Amino acid sequence: MKMGNGRIRTAVFFGAAVLLLAGITLAGFLLSREAMVTDFSRKDLAPGLPYLFGTDWLGRDMLARALTGLSMSIRLGLLAAGISSLIALGLGIASATMGRAVDSVITFIIDLVMGIPHILLLILISYACGKGFQGVVIGVSLTHWTSLARLIRGEVLQLRETGYVKMAEKLGMSRFHIAWKHMFPHLFPQFLVGLILLFPHAILHEASITFLGFGLSPEQPAIGIILSESMKYLAMGKWWLAVFPGLLLVLTVVLFDTAGESLRKLLNPGSTHD
Amino acid sequence: MKKHLLSILCAAALGVSLLGGCGGKTREAGEASPESGQESGEEKDSVIVAMGPTSEPEAGFDPAYGWGAGEHVHEPLIQSTLTVTNPDLSIGYDLATDMKASEDGMTWRVTIRDDVKFTDGEPLTAEDVAFTYNTVKASSSVNDFTMLREAVAVDETTVEFHMAQAYSIWPYTMAIVGIVPEHAYGPDYGMNPVGSGRYVLKQWDKGQQIILEANPDYYGEEISMKRVTIVFMEEDAAFAAVKAGQVDLAYTAASYADQNVDGYELLSFETVDNRGFNLPAAPAGENGEGMAVGNDFTNDLQVRRAINIGLDREEMIQNVLNGYGTPAYSVCDKMPWYNEESQVAYDPEGAVKLLEEAGWKEGTEGIREKDGVPAAFTLMYPASDSVRQALAADTQNQLKKLGIEVTIEGVGWDTAYDRAQAEPLMWGWGAHSPMELYNIYHTLEGGSAGYSPYANPKVDTYMDEALAASDLDTSYEFWKKAQWDGTTGIIQEGDIPWIWLVNIDHLYWSREGLKVAEQKLHPHGHGWSIVNNVDQWSW
Repeated sequence: MKMGNGRIRTAVFFGAAVLLLAGITLAGFLLSREAMVTDFSRKDLAPGLPYLFGTDWLGRDMLARALTGLSMSIRLGLLAAGISSLIALGLGIASATMGRAVDSVITFIIDLVMGIPHILLLILISYACGKGFQGVVIGVSLTHWTSLARLIRGEVLQLRETGYVKMAEKLGMSRFHIAWKHMFPHLFPQFLVGLILLFPHAILHEASITFLGFGLSPEQPAIGIILSESMKYLAMGKWWLAVFPGLLLVLTVVLFDTAGESLRKLLNPGSTHD
Repeated sequence: MKKHLLSILCAAALGVSLLGGCGGKTREAGEASPESGQESGEEKDSVIVAMGPTSEPEAGFDPAYGWGAGEHVHEPLIQSTLTVTNPDLSIGYDLATDMKASEDGMTWRVTIRDDVKFTDGEPLTAEDVAFTYNTVKASSSVNDFTMLREAVAVDETTVEFHMAQAYSIWPYTMAIVGIVPEHAYGPDYGMNPVGSGRYVLKQWDKGQQIILEANPDYYGEEISMKRVTIVFMEEDAAFAAVKAGQVDLAYTAASYADQNVDGYELLSFETVDNRGFNLPAAPAGENGEGMAVGNDFTNDLQVRRAINIGLDREEMIQNVLNGYGTPAYSVCDKMPWYNEESQVAYDPEGAVKLLEEAGWKEGTEGIREKDGVPAAFTLMYPASDSVRQALAADTQNQLKKLGIEVTIEGVGWDTAYDRAQAEPLMWGWGAHSPMELYNIYHTLEGGSAGYSPYANPKVDTYMDEALAASDLDTSYEFWKKAQWDGTTGIIQEGDIPWIWLVNIDHLYWSREGLKVAEQKLHPHGHGWSIVNNVDQWSW
């Protein structure tokens, strides 16, 4: 079991996870044309050699389709998690540094968004934004920032009580300067880990919203669409339509989770000696 | 590590119990089927039919709110109608004993039987008929009754329809409007329908099932199927119910056709339930409200003709419908008003020639272009319909070979109607009335047809004449001329503003031993049509 020390192992885990995810993203990107091709001469094939994941009732290659769908999920997750975490960072810092009134307004908004079931809000927002890729991105972005914002707000509240921040205040530095120069570097690890841990959420929600049919139109290879289509064919014994894309989705989410956890371990001073 | 082991064990246990659950279920099903087998050995006079959830009449069994005379027409079972459509879709009589249109077609005089009673014991008179028609005219939101001005009861058994415009195909409307009793009609009629038809509504569990029982005082032929239960379920649930032996007849789709279920056979009925797409026959532009109308590529007549002969309909039927369908060349194939000139042969070389002659030359990546405009369009399909998606995908593949690039896109009905003004959409039509030709090809006030831009004054005139004709046979001739009169029309040699692809066979799983009576060509809508004559089914 001894294979270097824990830190190196964690770093390797992290690297492998990131590499695999990058691989999926790239593969999906390259296969995106193939994923849309319908060919009735090869429909309903069970998993086999040329088509590892089988084909569906339109003769589409399920491997290409699943990879493209996941690749899109990852890219969408990237965008949504990025936007989401920026909102969280901005609001978190603002809440903690701009005084009581701003703080209570922001906390209220956080509670409000958290109080409404995620998926409901997501459907409403993406529907209002005209469905499609853009609707899903906006929907996921606007619903996933709350817990990270809350975390950052808490951190900042703590930081404000630290000596160096108090000193900077006494030296008459502007609030923005303090936030940017003194607080952000300290927050960065939490922020980064929070960002990465947002991915699985974003991806699963993208999958569920497309599953429910509120996202993209059904010829698009999105993982939720693939899964919801496959449900109809399960009764006919076409298990491969659901199993492989489903497993791939789980794998992706687990990889993101591993990556986030490893990064946390690497960045957190408390676990330096693991 | 121990924790891991535990969770794996838990997962394994869960898996085993799930498998066990499945096993239990199949055993139950196995036990159930011999029982029903015994039943069929005796004189069985009841039947359980599974239909799709959309077949459940939301507003109840009120003809004013779409029962029978709705988007998908069928015989109303609970009520009687004045006329009926025969298996060959000519007109026969139910309540009516005679009907006659005036010379100018503005008055229809119908005499009815005098021996018919509603199920509450009251006689059915001409008053009820007039009341029914005046009610549906006033309140039907689903069907169009603007051609009727007023219905008047002349005496006990004679009713006169005063028309707002000549409407020679009025008998087809009379075949779908169930007659309701004036004395028992109210806002809750849909829930508690009283009629004079073959069946009485016994029970309605909303969202689940409808139970119909034979009307003991029915005036017509004896009803052999005494009890009809209709259950509403999704396609896959219906298939599961068939596998479990819980239903006697269940609707199904071509994608299930290669399955085998013990004790059941697959019934397939020909239909006019067609699928096809519109090709906007107008240059791209906008209407008064800023909506995109027209399409420069499909506005080219040669392009439309090339697409019509460049599509291999037989291949489509094999690919998409597993062979359960017939090629469609018009919206009304095999109907008495169908013009056989509509039929075309698959001719890819001819299609390429047409495109070449029209100046659409091969460009980059095999996609044709003309004056820098690529030969391309978006073909929309309703997102929830996998058959139309497959037809769109097949169309895409076939047209690619001609050098036309098609992009397919699933859309919702909220935007589809508007967008179809500029882009082709995969439609489903097919009705037991020539009025559909009118709805699709006749211009509206704005000077263009309603569902897809198209206008041909000659075609309009023929259809107006068809409606003004004094008897059905003459009107059929005009409907046929509207399709093709030798020089102009809506077929290949004419303007071909719509491409018709296939008529989809309606498929059902039927328990062995069930004798389903002869079906007339089903219209669009895979629902109540099958039970139009359920009273004549037997075991």
